[in-house]
This record gives sequence, structure tokens and C-alpha cells, in this order.
Amino acid sequence: MLARISRRLAGLVATLFAASFVIFAAVYAAPGDPAVFLAGGRDKLTPERLAQVRAQYHLDEPLVVQYGRWLWDCVHFDLGRSFKYSDQVADLVTARFPTTLQLVAYATVLFVVLGVGAGILAAVKRSTWIDSAVVGGTTLAASVPSFVAAIALVSLFGVRLGWFPVSGSGEGFGGTLHHLTLPALSLALGALAIISRVTRQAMADAAASDHVEAARVSGVPERDIIRRHVLRNALGPIITMCGLVMAGMLAGTVVVETAFGISGIGSLLVGAINTHDFPVAQAVLLLMVTGYIVVTTLVDVVHPLLDPRVKEARS
Amino acid sequence: MTRTNTSRGQGRRAAVAGLAAVATLLTAAGCSGADTAATGGEPADAAKLKLTATTAAAKGTLDKANWLLEDEPDSLDLDTQGTSAGRVVLTNVCERLYQLQPDMTTKPFLAEKAQTPDDKTLVLSVRDGVTFHDGSKLTADDVLWSLKRHADPDMEQADEFGNVKSMKKTGDREITIRFKSPDALFTKALAGDAGIVWNKEQVTAAGKDFGTPGQGDACSGPYELKSWKSGDSITIEAYDGYWGKKPLTRQVVFRWASDSALVNALKTGAADGTYAESPNTASALRTSKGLDQHYGPSTASLVLIPTARGGLKDPQIRRALSLAIDRTGIARSGYGGLVQPWATPVGSGAWGYEKPEFEAAQKKLSTAAPATPTADDLAKAKELVKEAGAPTDPVVIGTDSSQGRTVVANAVRSALQRIGLKGQIKTVPTAQFEEFYSDPAARSDIDVLVGDWYISKADPMGFYDNGLSDSSNNWVGFKDATYDKLVHRALSTLDDAKRAELAIDVQKRFVDAGVWISVAQVPTALVISDKLTGPPASQAYLYYPWAAELGPKTAKDKVS
Repeated sequence: MLARISRRLAGLVATLFAASFVIFAAVYAAPGDPAVFLAGGRDKLTPERLAQVRAQYHLDEPLVVQYGRWLWDCVHFDLGRSFKYSDQVADLVTARFPTTLQLVAYATVLFVVLGVGAGILAAVKRSTWIDSAVVGGTTLAASVPSFVAAIALVSLFGVRLGWFPVSGSGEGFGGTLHHLTLPALSLALGALAIISRVTRQAMADAAASDHVEAARVSGVPERDIIRRHVLRNALGPIITMCGLVMAGMLAGTVVVETAFGISGIGSLLVGAINTHDFPVAQAVLLLMVTGYIVVTTLVDVVHPLLDPRVKEARS
Repeated sequence: MTRTNTSRGQGRRAAVAGLAAVATLLTAAGCSGADTAATGGEPADAAKLKLTATTAAAKGTLDKANWLLEDEPDSLDLDTQGTSAGRVVLTNVCERLYQLQPDMTTKPFLAEKAQTPDDKTLVLSVRDGVTFHDGSKLTADDVLWSLKRHADPDMEQADEFGNVKSMKKTGDREITIRFKSPDALFTKALAGDAGIVWNKEQVTAAGKDFGTPGQGDACSGPYELKSWKSGDSITIEAYDGYWGKKPLTRQVVFRWASDSALVNALKTGAADGTYAESPNTASALRTSKGLDQHYGPSTASLVLIPTARGGLKDPQIRRALSLAIDRTGIARSGYGGLVQPWATPVGSGAWGYEKPEFEAAQKKLSTAAPATPTADDLAKAKELVKEAGAPTDPVVIGTDSSQGRTVVANAVRSALQRIGLKGQIKTVPTAQFEEFYSDPAARSDIDVLVGDWYISKADPMGFYDNGLSDSSNNWVGFKDATYDKLVHRALSTLDDAKRAELAIDVQKRFVDAGVWISVAQVPTALVISDKLTGPPASQAYLYYPWAAELGPKTAKDKVS
């Protein structure tokens, strides 16, 4: 087990290293010149001034040298200063990350509870109208992009009914919950559909296995069969999928943050890309990739603990 | 339309525009930009838009106001990073040596008195009894230190000081500034960011972190900076030791949102008001219950900036294009009627003196830039095209995909078609669009740019140096020795009436030559809860402590 975890950790670091270079190069290669932004007003944009700014921010050095400089600082926990805000990148990210994390956590709770619930319901009531309703409803939900959901939710529950605030992230636990409900819901809607489908299918597969048949024949009550045998065996794929979807959300809050006027790292990233704020864009992307890798690794590590069959197959 | 940053330097419309709009670029197509104009109902009638400098005076006090910005300020140190968002906040917190009034005139302010013993000398008497927010006294040393900081070549306002020969403390409360040649615009610059007086000690102590979240403000205004929670909000609160009039609103909390999020926050009453950067935001809120809108004079305008490439290189073709553009149509379909067809490249907010003269001159020029082209205009335009030899290559129109600019670009193309020319639209991402302004290589394959511009100083002469033979903003290579001479003379004419006369002459030459082609002026739009009133509606909101005058409409003491 320990060996496996350290192997995974090594893989994680290697992936991060590769990702960091790709991120650095991609941000660097984006069209547009950060010096234009850094120089100030339009009437200051003389070639001399731009050259001077490029030199000042080391933008005139080769890509590899800049990457080396950045990596060196990074491993010393120095993410640099934002071009745009002239504040420490670490401060900017720390100020916004909790909001995004809360949003993703809230959305995860929503899609896990509702998605898994709907999936179980559909699986238990297979081939009834309930099953059709769940499948139909989730198909519809899956086809609605989160920005469309956001607009619809805002205009109905925010503007028309006035039940929920339409912007900002709120203060205190209650306030945050109130403010983040609609954004979390729009974020969770698509995921909810996927999870309920996966749950339904995994349950169906598990229900069809021989030992379930055997249990049923020996007269074990249906409720216990579903809980002990079907659900337990189906848990592997469900958790894997939940983990993957949640990891994906960490990088996908941009649209929802923008629609609801929430200052999370998603909107920080978009702003940074548009103003060529290299240090911020690189830090946020790296954070998102790290989040994704960590969550998927965790799922991978947890999976065999839940399902001994996976462990046997691997070792 | 993107107009976030103001001008720096010579006071021209600056910079990297529209972060607010830009921030939503990735998502705009779907979730935001598009719906703002659509929800506003019928467009306003641009011709009837009433521009007022200020709103009715408030009748009571207010505990707290929630105000929206279109973006989080980059920094609260306007010397290193000046944006409109930062200015809207800081104008309540920091004071300047001169003050821009809602009617766009300027008057001495922290400099209590100003004297000009000769044309090349300005003597400022520093106001007594002023304290910074940390309680320390404002001194002439602070003033001198601040001026020198603004003048540092690395700072935003450095080019305001290009004509300054020396700045010295010449008395206990006296600063003497000497110029290489008389400088008519310098005191106007002192009403802008070049005139902010910082607390030397506080700025020095904060070092590189000055202006970032968690730092103090180092100023002496009616409000002090209470907190800036990065990514969340900025709070300012009335300063008890203020030397002047007590502000009506005790506390203002600023938050930021863009496009539809901003519109929704105002619609649902989550915010009390905003100065809308984009006419489309105001347009989307025009019929909303519970909100008032006020439009005021600003220096901003929509313009076409031709390059020295292709057909528009010829002044006759430029004049013909100007005659054929449907400016009313652009105002209606691109900006919900909240911009006005206009004949000069600066809005009426630039008329900080001799207003009637400038107004008459602008009207006169509108024969060359009609609101809606008549058959006569088109005939005249076609004649000009014929005389110029009717070029056959298509005119390439550079734009980004923002709603307003797209409409302008299409209007230009159809104007070209109407006079027998071909137009072709080239759309680039907003982030790249700004490079058209700075990089001749970036604009090497466009013939005309759909641009916007504004100047920070209420003086048309803050703009017309863009037409000088050696100006980097004179893309068509307009060269006229008389024009250059007149601009320089106007810039060193201290007498307002005489300078206005020269400015009007200069303006006519600029428009006649079509160095830039004017499309519309863009008024400022104040969107505010219908229970509140008081702040200015003009562009002075960037330089005047507007929150101090914000309060309830009725005599009731408080608004909940």
C-alpha cells in the first residue's frame, strides 16, 4: 500500500512538472502583448517604452529562461506579483480560492445527494414511470449548459421571485449558503444527470450479478439486498464518477462565477488571461491542474479500499 | 463597448480598455453580453437625451450605500495603475490640488490659492488645517513630494510634467512651479490624478505594497479607506477629522460585477447604484422599476481612426465616409439610443470653459458629419469619391466582437457601399484589439479602426495634439504646419476666451482633414435607486467626491 502511494505521489509530481511547462508555454503563446497592458495609457505606447517594460518584467528573455525563473520562484513558494494588481499572486489566489472551493463543495453535495438519490430511485423502480421520469428529466438536465441554467435560475428565482440574491458570495455560513445556492445549482445540474445515470447503470449491473440472485432466492428481504449487496457493489463506479466530475468542476466554475458576479478563481483566471497577467494566469491554472490531479489520485487511492476486487486485480 | 480605463498622460482616453467587458469575453457569447441590450425595451431617443451635470440635492443622511463597479480596481495607487474603477472609489478618499466640478470647470482646492506672477510660473498656496486620515497635518512637503512622485517617468501621470522646469517649496505653505513655456493645461491636470496629494510618510512606509488590499490610503478626503477584501469588496467610511463639509452618506461598500450580473444586482435592489461604463448596461436598466437614470456630459466619444493604408489614406474619401455614416442608426441599434451623433472627436464634457462657443462650433461642423445622411449628403459623398479616383480595393474595418463596435463596423461597411466603395470587417479578440492602438504592425492590415477615446481634462486642447504631425496617434500622416503652430499656441495660451477661439479653429482643421472621423459622443450614465439622489451625473464622478453628496430624496432622515 505504502509503495503504491509513494509511486502515485511520484507520478503526481511528474505530471505537475509537465503540466506546469505546458501551462507556462500556453499562457506565453497566447496572442497579445502584456507590455501593452503594463505600459499604461494608450498615449504611452511608444516602442521605446514597450521595450523598457519588456526588459523590466523579463519578457524579452527566451521562454525557457523565463520558465526556469518562474519554476525556481515557485518551489520557493513565491508566485510573484500580479502585473495587473501589483499585489502578491499568492494573496490574490488565497482571497478567492475559498469562494470557488465553497461553490464546488456545495455543488458536489447537491449533485451527489440528488444524483445518487435519483439514480437509486430509478434503479429500484426500474421500468416504471418513475424510472422513465428520472431518465427523461436527467437527459433534459444534461443537455442544458450551465450558463443557460444560470440565466434561467437568476431570472426566475433571483429577479422575478426575489428568493435568492443574484450576485456576490455572501457572509457567514447562512449568507454564503443563500448566495451560493443558485450558482451551485446551475453548476450541479449537468453533473447531477451524469451521476444519476451512472448510479442507475451500476446498480442495474450489480443487481444482475449471481450473488444477488442467490441472496434473493434464499429469501433475504429486498431492502437489505439493495443496501448490502447492490448498492455496495455499485459504489465503486459511482464514487469514481463523483470524484471525476468534482475535479472537473474545479476548473469549470468560470461561467457560473461570471453570471453570478462571484469573485472566485475562475473569474480571476479569465481576467488574467485577457490582460496577459502571466503570473496570475499561470498560478491559477497550476492550482486548477493540481486540484484535478489530487482529487483524481485520491479517488484512485480510495477505490480499492471500498472494493476489494479492484485491489486484487491490481496487485 | 469597452471603456474602463481613463486616460493618463496628456489626458487622452487611454489604455487597455474594458477589463469589465473583457473579463466576460470567454463567456460573453452565451451568458452575458448579448442579453443586456435586449432586455431594455425600446431604445432611448438619442436626440432628446438630456445631459445634466448633477442630480437634485439630497435631503437627508444615509448610513450605508452599496455601490457597484464594473470591475475590481487594479490598485488604489493611481500613480502606478490608474483605472476608472479605482478612481470611482478613490475620488472620495483622496484630494487633489485642484478640483473638477460637476459642471466640468476646475477650481483650486488643496491649493487654496493659485497665482501666476508671470506666464511661466505657478505659485500654489497649500490649504491650512487639512489632516490626513492618520491624523497628521498636510504640509507643503507632502505636496512637493507628491508632485515629484507623479512626475517620475515610471508613473502614469509623468507626461503631464513634460513642460515643467522646476518645482520648489518657496515658503512654509507655498510651492512654486516653473514651466519651460506657458502651460494652459497644467492646472487642469492638477484636478486629475497629477494633483493628488499623498501622505509621504504613509506611502513610503507601505513601499511596493502601497495601493494593494490591506494597505491604508494616505489621503485627506471626506472618506477614509476602511477595508479592501481582495476579490470581495472595498469599504470606505466618512472621516471624522475632515476639514470640509461632512459627507451625507456615512459608509459606502463597493462590489463589482459585469454585464448581466451587474444589471441583475441593480434590478433586485442588491445595489443602490453605479456609474455605468457601458451605455448598454444603462440601456438594459432603462425601464427597471425602482431605478432612476441620469445622463451627463463626458469627454468620451466613438470614433473611426483611419490608417495610412488603402482608400482612406485620401482625405476626400474620409470626408465622403463621414458624410455617409448613419450615426442615428448606430446610436439606436448599437447603444440603445444612449449615445449621441457627434461631429467632433471629444464629447461635450470637454467644454470646461466658453461652453456656448464650443457648442455652436460643434453644431456647425455637423454638416460634415450628419446624424442621418440626406440624399444631398450622399450625392456630395459620391462626388468626392469620384474626384478621388474611386479606389476599388475593399476598406478593411478593424473591430472586436463587442456589440457596439460590431454595429459601428457594419454601419461603416454599408456607408461605404452606399458611396460605391467596398468594406470588409476584420474582427479580433478584445485582448488583441488594444494592440491596434499601440502597434503599427498590429494594424498594418486594417484601413480603419472602430475606436473610442476620452480625455481626462475638461479642455478640448487635451485632445487635439493627437493631430500634430509627430503624434503617434496621427495614423494617416496628417501634416499641416499651420495646424501644428495653432495647437502649440493654444496649449500655451492661458486666457480661456483666446484659447477657446484657437481650439475651435484647430478643431475645424482636424475635422475637415478627417484625421479621425467622429461618430457619436458617449454621455456618462448614473443608474441609481429612485430613493436616492445627490451625486454628479457628469464625468466629474471620476475626480469629485460624489459619495459625499449621495443621500435620500425625501426629508426623512434615513433610507433603509
